[in-house]
Amino acid sequence: MTAQTPTLTAEPLDTYTLNMGPQHPSTHGVLRLVLTLRGEKLVHVDPVIGYGHRGHEKMAENRTYAQFLPNTSRQDYLSGVIYNNAWCEAVEKLAGIPVPERALVARVILAEFNRLASHLMWIGAYLLDLGGWTPQLYTWDDREAILFLLESVTGSRLTYCTGRFGGLSRDLDADFPARARVVLKKLKDRWQEYEDLVEGNVIFVQRTRGVGIFTKEQCQSYGVTGSSLRAAGVAYDVRKVEPYGAYPRFQFDIPTRPESDAFARYWVRVQEMKQSVRIIEQALEQLPDGPILTERGLGSKKRLKLPVGTQYYAVEAARGAYGILLVSEGGTEPYRAKFRVPSYANLAVMQDVMPGYMVADLVGILGSIDVIIPEIDR
Amino acid sequence: MAAPAELVRLLDERGWTAEPPTAHPMSGVSESRWVLPEHLVAAARALKEAGYFYESLTCVDRLDPQGAFELVLTFARWDAPARIGVRVWTPKDTPVPSLAGVFGIAEWNEREAWELFGVEFSGHPKLRWLLLPDGTEFRPLLKSFTAPPPSIYDDSLTAPASPDDRTDPDTHG
Repeated sequence: MTAQTPTLTAEPLDTYTLNMGPQHPSTHGVLRLVLTLRGEKLVHVDPVIGYGHRGHEKMAENRTYAQFLPNTSRQDYLSGVIYNNAWCEAVEKLAGIPVPERALVARVILAEFNRLASHLMWIGAYLLDLGGWTPQLYTWDDREAILFLLESVTGSRLTYCTGRFGGLSRDLDADFPARARVVLKKLKDRWQEYEDLVEGNVIFVQRTRGVGIFTKEQCQSYGVTGSSLRAAGVAYDVRKVEPYGAYPRFQFDIPTRPESDAFARYWVRVQEMKQSVRIIEQALEQLPDGPILTERGLGSKKRLKLPVGTQYYAVEAARGAYGILLVSEGGTEPYRAKFRVPSYANLAVMQDVMPGYMVADLVGILGSIDVIIPEIDR
Repeated sequence: MAAPAELVRLLDERGWTAEPPTAHPMSGVSESRWVLPEHLVAAARALKEAGYFYESLTCVDRLDPQGAFELVLTFARWDAPARIGVRVWTPKDTPVPSLAGVFGIAEWNEREAWELFGVEFSGHPKLRWLLLPDGTEFRPLLKSFTAPPPSIYDDSLTAPASPDDRTDPDTHG
């Protein structure tokens, strides 16, 4: 075997390359960032993704619409209910399956609880990234209460699969509203504690203020959505702009903040949790009686055939706009399914945002966009 | 600003759109048009100027008998429920003009379409693997793709040239 001399690239001598990940704890999954540094300044950032690629889009072509249901909550494992509902709603839209009123409202309740759990998880993990160990004990305690509640309805703690075409497979039981209100009360009592613990913390504020600023042009160019976009002063929320399901019935605001730094993204998420609580309270109030699954039996048909067509369906997931493009050629299986995941754009914009910052800011910026790698890799 | 209907009328007037080559309907969008590949960049610029962001790119291997790919792009805006579907019919051996110069995210989306389907993009900074390991030779989302047989010994990612070349898991090693 002849030893080969590695070819030297034309890299300038004053910069060097550093691999961050794929096993770095602050990359939230298996993400690798190839960093080009000059001293401690970031010159170039190249995200390398795909370590968790499972081929969800190919899998969708090889199973029936109903068989694909469990895959949905394994894309963004923190927005399982939302993704599961989105798949059901996309199929219902294309097939014209009616959904009972009770199921529409129940989906909103479960989805908003899921969003709360996701945001709580993020706050704990993000503060852990920044070196604060205590906050996660609070957020995970609250999240546990939500998971316990969701488990009592869906039977799962993370990979929810209760959505069916035409409703939900399991109904909310009679004491669910009472138990949900206990959890909401617990959460509302916590907001002040979070503010005292986090927003008054000098270290947190100094590490997040003025760091990781996205311009509106960058957001448009990359299609950034979700809290990251709202923290840049754009009030874009699919639940408001293109209301779906039972959302038009509920009053809620879209919190925005103009600074567009990591602190603004933290603040927006905390405000969003308050809005989610507001939506759930109204939904519990308005929860109608009746069937949870459409009685026509169309949705529970094993080999559901969809009419020919291409359907785009968007929802607001915990991380931003999630879209499903479903192509049907009339068969029992999707001809093509494409998932437009919010983290994809939110991570891609990092190539533009990060250069110029210090390497110490990188973790603070990356954590602030709440990136979920398995949904990017699909 | 420009409502979706006005905007697509503008695209029509400039001669950038084509007659639908198939009757396959598209829903979930305010408007959809088949755009000629040579005018795709100009159309994307017009959409960007009107305040739209690049939402998604989907390649569909639906037109194999005609030797073509269908690309479906969606553009949406922040302030109004407006989504424009842009569909492109492109022969498989002809590169599509890249939108990476107009929208930053197009770079990743086009890398994905290239690695999964083999769609070539002209003017793209560098088409390299995004989700699949570097050097992957097969295009897994093509309808003609058949997976190599699973083997615990052979984890090479090179697609076999013919079925006879495939590693037999029982006899290998």
